Amino acid sequence: MHCHAAEWLIGGGELKRTRIIAIDFVIMFLILFFIIQYANTKMRESNESSIEAFEKMTITAEQIVTNYLEDEQHLCDIWANYINRSAESGSPMTAEEAVSFIRKAKISPDIYGHLIFLDDPDQTGISTHTGVSAPNDYSVSYKKIDLFDDLDAISREVGVVSLTRAYTNPQNGIQSIAFMNFVKILDETTGETKEALLMRVEPVSVLEDKLVFLSGEYENVEISLINKDGDYLVHGQSLKNSNFFEYYKSYNHPDIDEFNKTTELITSGSGTLQMLNSKGEECVVSYTPLQSMNTWFLLAYLPAGDLKSNTVIDWLLLGIVSLGMMLLFVFNYLILRLYNKELTEAAEAANQANAAKSHFLSTMSHDIRTPMNAILGLNEMVLRDSHEEEIVEYSESIRNAGRTLLGLINDILDFSKIEAGKMDIINVDYSFASMLNDLINMVKIKAEEKGLDFNLDVDRDIPMTLNGDEIRIKQVITNILSNAVKYTNEGSITFRAGFENIEDDPEAVMLIISVSDTGIGIRPEDMKRLFQAFERIEEDKNRVIEGTGLGMSIAQSILHMMGSSLEVESEYGKGSVFSFRLLQGVKDRKPIGNFEETFKRYVSERKKYRESFTAPGARLLVVDDTAVNLSVFESLLKRTKVQIDTAISGDEGIILYRKRQYDVIFLDHMMPEKDGIETLKEMRSIGDNPNSKTPIVCLTANAVSGMREMYLSEGFDDYLTKPIDQEKLEALLLHYIPKEKIEAPAEDEIKDEHSVPDFLMDLEELDVDAGIAHCGGNESYMVTLTTYLDTGWKNADEIEKYWNARDIENTTIKVHALKSTSRVIGAFKLGNLASDLEKAGESGDIRTLEERIGTLLSLYRELLRDLSTLKKLRDDENAKDRPLISDKDLGEAYKVIAEYCDAFDYDSVIDIIQSLERYSFPEKEKERFEKLKKAVDNFDYDLIPGILRVTG
Amino acid sequence: MTVKKLLSRILISVSSISLLTGLGACGKQADNNKEFKPLLSTDTTCSIKVAGNYSNFESLESEFERFYEYYPNVSLNYVSMDDYENTIISALLSEEAPDIYVTATWMLDDEKMKPVFENAEILSDPALNIDLDCIRNGARWTLENGDVVMLPIFTRSYGMLVNMDIFEKNGLKVPEDYGEFKEVCASLKAAGYETPVMGANCTSVAGMYYSFAFPYFCNTVMGDQGKVESLNCMDSSAGESMRPALERIEDFIDAGYLDPELCSAEIEDDYDAVIMRFFEGDVPMMLGSGDMVSGTQKRENKSEAFLANPFKYKFFVVPTGDDGGYFLDSVNLFFSVNKNSDNLDMTNEFIRFLMREKELGNMAAIKRLITPTNDFSLDEVYSSLEGFPEDKAFSYQETGLNDDVNKEFRAAAYKVANGEMTVDEAIDQYGNLWE
Repeated sequence: MHCHAAEWLIGGGELKRTRIIAIDFVIMFLILFFIIQYANTKMRESNESSIEAFEKMTITAEQIVTNYLEDEQHLCDIWANYINRSAESGSPMTAEEAVSFIRKAKISPDIYGHLIFLDDPDQTGISTHTGVSAPNDYSVSYKKIDLFDDLDAISREVGVVSLTRAYTNPQNGIQSIAFMNFVKILDETTGETKEALLMRVEPVSVLEDKLVFLSGEYENVEISLINKDGDYLVHGQSLKNSNFFEYYKSYNHPDIDEFNKTTELITSGSGTLQMLNSKGEECVVSYTPLQSMNTWFLLAYLPAGDLKSNTVIDWLLLGIVSLGMMLLFVFNYLILRLYNKELTEAAEAANQANAAKSHFLSTMSHDIRTPMNAILGLNEMVLRDSHEEEIVEYSESIRNAGRTLLGLINDILDFSKIEAGKMDIINVDYSFASMLNDLINMVKIKAEEKGLDFNLDVDRDIPMTLNGDEIRIKQVITNILSNAVKYTNEGSITFRAGFENIEDDPEAVMLIISVSDTGIGIRPEDMKRLFQAFERIEEDKNRVIEGTGLGMSIAQSILHMMGSSLEVESEYGKGSVFSFRLLQGVKDRKPIGNFEETFKRYVSERKKYRESFTAPGARLLVVDDTAVNLSVFESLLKRTKVQIDTAISGDEGIILYRKRQYDVIFLDHMMPEKDGIETLKEMRSIGDNPNSKTPIVCLTANAVSGMREMYLSEGFDDYLTKPIDQEKLEALLLHYIPKEKIEAPAEDEIKDEHSVPDFLMDLEELDVDAGIAHCGGNESYMVTLTTYLDTGWKNADEIEKYWNARDIENTTIKVHALKSTSRVIGAFKLGNLASDLEKAGESGDIRTLEERIGTLLSLYRELLRDLSTLKKLRDDENAKDRPLISDKDLGEAYKVIAEYCDAFDYDSVIDIIQSLERYSFPEKEKERFEKLKKAVDNFDYDLIPGILRVTG
Repeated sequence: MTVKKLLSRILISVSSISLLTGLGACGKQADNNKEFKPLLSTDTTCSIKVAGNYSNFESLESEFERFYEYYPNVSLNYVSMDDYENTIISALLSEEAPDIYVTATWMLDDEKMKPVFENAEILSDPALNIDLDCIRNGARWTLENGDVVMLPIFTRSYGMLVNMDIFEKNGLKVPEDYGEFKEVCASLKAAGYETPVMGANCTSVAGMYYSFAFPYFCNTVMGDQGKVESLNCMDSSAGESMRPALERIEDFIDAGYLDPELCSAEIEDDYDAVIMRFFEGDVPMMLGSGDMVSGTQKRENKSEAFLANPFKYKFFVVPTGDDGGYFLDSVNLFFSVNKNSDNLDMTNEFIRFLMREKELGNMAAIKRLITPTNDFSLDEVYSSLEGFPEDKAFSYQETGLNDDVNKEFRAAAYKVANGEMTVDEAIDQYGNLWE
C-alpha cells in the first residue's frame, strides 16, 4: 500500500498541484467576475443616475432659457402693445414715433429695436441705432438676410415667443437674435395704419453669457440651442459645423435610418444621445425642446468621461481585490510547494523503502535459492544414497519442506512483482491438454495424499491449441487447486473446464474454469477479505495450513490483468466454488478429446524416478562464479559419469568453449564482470569453434516467472532454475545429449573414501561438519575447500582492487560470492561479515564498507593462510605417486613454454603444464612450478616469461 | 486708377520677381515642411473669432483642432455672417469684431470696403515670421507698398473632370493639346460616347464655355497687351481679340464633340446637376470650375450610379491651345487679420501656423479646392497640376482685364455656341453682348 501511496504522491503530486492552481484560478476568476459584474451594474446604475442628473440639469437649463426668452419676448410684447394701443386708440404712431418710443423704453445700449415695413419688398425699416459704418443713417434693410421666409409662423399671441435664428445684425455686424411682434403704425404717405414687424434685437453673446452660468456642477458642459433643422442659435466650442445634425452625421456616420431616427428623437422630446465628437471622443448630448416654443431645442454637451468619473472607486476596489487574491494565490502556491516538497521527499523515502523491499525480496530469492540449491541437491543425494528407511523418510520431509519453501518464495516474488507493476502478461501458443496435465498431475497427488477424491470434468471440445499466458493461467489454477486441497479435509475436489464460442470472433473462445470443493467454506463476512494480500481467513482454525495468504490475491491480480476476475460461491461448512471466465485466442480448433481418459493412462504409465542413464562419453561445461555451485553440480551428476569441465568466470568458460567440444553447456546468469548473457553472446559470436551447435542452458536463481521467455529470447536453448532439481537436470541432459552417448545406468556404488585432515577440525573459523553437510560429503567438501583456497588469494586481491577503485558494484558482487562460498565451506564468521558488507554495498552504505572491508579482507586472508596447509598436504600426497622430473626435461619444458608464450599459443602452455603435473619436482623448482600453475590458472600468461626468467 | 488696376500692375512685377525668388525659395520650402514650433506660451488662454460667408467651414474647423494640439487653451470659433459684404464692415467696428475675416479681391476695388483693409494687419511684417513664400506666384496678392494684407486660403481654376476609367478602358491618354483633344474625342465618339464632352450650357463662370475657352482668350490677350485698355472700355473694335477662342468653340461644336442642346436638356444647373450627371459614369470629360470639383466629394455617396459603379476621376485644364491648355489661377478666398484684435499675437500665431503647405493643403483637400501652394500631393484629383508649366499659368488679374470683359466674353461664347450668333456677329457686337 505504501508503494501506491508513494507513487500517487510523486506521480500525482504535479497533477494535484496543477489542479489546485486551476481551482484557485477558477475561484479567483469567479470572484473577479462577480466584482466586475457588480461593479458594472453599479457603474451602469451610477451612469444611469448621472445621465438622469444630467438630463435634469438640461431641463433646468431649458427652464431658465425659456424664462429668459419669455421675459425678452415679454419686453418686446410690451413695446408692441404700447404701439398697438396707440393705434387702437385712434392715434397710431408713425414709424419714427414708434422707434423713438422704443429708443426711450429700452434700457440696454446693446439691444436694438428694428421696425420693418412688411409692405416693402426690400424689407427695410428703421432702427433705434444708426449703422456703425454710417453714423447718420437709421435705416435698416433685411434684403440680403434671409430671415422672414415665413411671416405666418410669427405668433401674434401675447406671451408666445417668436424668435429669429442667429443672424448678423445689419446695423452693427454682431451675431444677434431678435424677438418679434406685429405692430400697427401710421403710414405717413397714405395716412392709413399699416402693419410692421417689431424686432427686439439682442446680441447672441448676451444669451451665451447667460448659458455659461447654467453649467452648474458640470465644468465642461456646453449649452447649445438649435432649430428644427439643426441650425445653431448658439453653440459651444465642441460642436462644430453650423448645423448640429450635419455635425452628428460627419463624425458618427449613421446610416440614413439611424440619422432620421436621431433627428426625430432630438426634435420630439427630451433624452440623451451618446455620440462621438469631432475628435472621435465619446460624448453625451442631452436634449430637450424649449417649452412654449416648438421650434427651438436645447442641447447640453458633455464629454462622456465627465459623467463616468465616479466609477474610478470600483476599479480601484477591483484592482486591490485582484492584487490581494494574487498575493493569496502566491502565498498558497508557496505553501503548496513547501508541502509538496515535503510530501515528495516522504514519497521518495517511501519509494526507496519499497525499492529496498523489492530488492530485499529478490535478494532473498537469490540468497534462499542458493542454499536451497545445496539443501535440495544434497538432499537428493541423501535420498538416493541412503538405504536407511528413517533417513529416507527425513529426507523426503526435507524435500517437501524445501519445495513448499520455494513455493512461498515464488509467491512473495510474484506478489512484489505485481505490486511494482512489473508483472507482464506474455501470450504464447500453448497446448491446453499439456497445461492441464501439468497442473492436475501436481495437485492430484496432493489431493490423493490427503485422501480426497479428485474429479475431472473437462469439455472434450476445448480447442487443442490456445493462445494466452500459459504460465500465468497455470499459476492461477494451481493456486485455486492448492487452496482447495489445503482447505478440504474430506470429500472431493472437482475441476471443471469448459468453453463458450465468441459470436463475433471465431479466433477466440471464452474458457470457463471452475474448482469446487467440499471444504470448510467461507463465511459471507470473510468473503471480501479473501482476495486481500496476506489475509488468511480463520487464521486461528487454519494455523496449521501453510501459506503466505498471497495465493488468492495473486490469482485475482493476474486474472484482472488478463481482463477477468475470480468468482467465489461458498457455503460455510459445505464447500466453495471458485471460477473464472477467460478470453483466449484459438490457434488450433481441433478438440482435445477425452482428457480424463488420456490423463488416467498417463498416470498409470508414470514411473518412479530412478537413475535413468549414464553417459561416460558425454562432456559438459558448467560456468558459475561460485565454486561451490560448481561442486554441487558435479556431485549431482556424479553417478551419470558424465565428464564435467567447470569454469569460474565467463572468460574462462569462453576459453574452454573455443577449445573443447561439449554436448551441453550450462551458464550461470549472475556473474561479476561478464554475466551469463554477455558470455553467451560472446560465445555465439565466435566463428569456427567446436561448439557452434552445442545447446547452452541458463542456470539461474532468478526463478520469477516470465524469465523463461527472457532467457530464450536472449539466445539460450533452455534454462534451469537453482536450486537445481536433479530430475529436471537429468531430463534435460537426456534431451540434449546425443542418444549414442547414453548408456544403461551403472549398478556399482561409489563410496566416499575421502577423509578430512585433522588440522581443519582445529580451525576456529571453520565449521567443518556444516561444510561437509553443505557439500554433500567429505570428498566434495575437500574438493570445494581446495577450490576455495585456490581461488582465494586472487579473489581477496580483486575485492581489494575493486574497493580501492571504489567500484562499489563489483565489490558487492565479489563480496556476495565470498559470502556464499564461505558459508558453504562452514566459514560462517567470514560469511556473515561478507553478508553485512554485501548489504552495505547494495544500499550504497559506503561508511560501513570503509569501516569493515579491511577486517573482512584480513579475516579472509587469515583463513586462506590457515588453509594453505591443505594444499601442501595435497601436493605431498600427489607428489608421492609421481616420478621426479629430471632437470633436463624440466629445462626443456620451460623452454617450450617460453616459446609458446612468445607465440601466444596458451593452449599449448596449458597442455604442457598439465603434462608436467604428472611429475614431482625437485624442492627448488616446486615454488616456481606452483607459480606457473597459478599463473596459468588465473590466465596471467603475461607473467610466465618473468617467472621463467627469474628462475632460469 | 482703381486699387485693382494698381494691383494688377504690381502683380505682374511681383510675379516676375517671385519667379526669381521662387527659385531661391527652394531652401525655405524645406523650412516650411518642418514641424510647427509655437512662438508663444502654449498655455495662453484666449478666444479667437473667424468671420466669413461660408455657412460651413469644416476645413477651417479641422485646422482649429490641429492648432489646439499646440495651444490647447485657445478657443477658435468660426462665425458665418449674413449679408457679409455689408455686415463685415460694421462687424469690424463693433465690440464683437472678428479677429480674422474673409476677404476677396473685389473688395480692393470697392471704396465702400475700404474700412475692411484699413483694419487689416500687415502680414508681410518680417517680425510675424509668416512664411509667404509657400504661396505660388499666381495666388499672391501684395499692395503697392509691398505689404501683404490678405492671404490666399483656397484657389480655384477652370477645366474639366476626366473619367479616368473610361480613358483607361479605351486605352486613351488624357489629351495635352487641341490636336490630341480632337483625336481623343473622335476615338471616344467611335467608342460610342456620343458627346465626349459635356458641361452646363450657361453664361456663368461655372458654365462650360468659360472653362473651355476663357483661359485661351486670356492667353491671347496677354500676348497683345495693347488691346487690354480697349477691351476694358468695351470698345467694339477690341472684339476681334475674342476671335481665336470663339472659333475654337465653333469648331469643337461643329465637330460634334460638344452638344449645347443635349447639355441643356440633361444638366439643369452649373453645379449640382453637372456633378450628378458626371457621376452617371458615361461622360468622359465634364467642363466646369474648381467649385464643381469641390462639390464632388460630398456627392459621391448621393449618386446611386456612382455608388454602384465608382470610378476614378481627375481635374485637368482644357487643352484648347495648340500647344496645350492654360491654367487660370484664381484665389477663391483670402484671410485678413483684424489689427485691432484683442488677441493679435495669438491671431498672428494662428495665421503663421496656417500658412504652411501642410495646413493649406489639408484645408484644400477637405474642401476639395486647389491649394494656393505648389504642393498638389494632398488631393489626387488635382495631381495633374503638379509641375504645370509656369508660362501657361497666370491669374486673371495678370491679364489686366476687368469684369465687364469677362461678362462680354461669356455672353459671346454662349451665343456662338448656341447658334444665336456667328463668330463675326459676336465680334462686331462686342460691348453689347451681356444682357
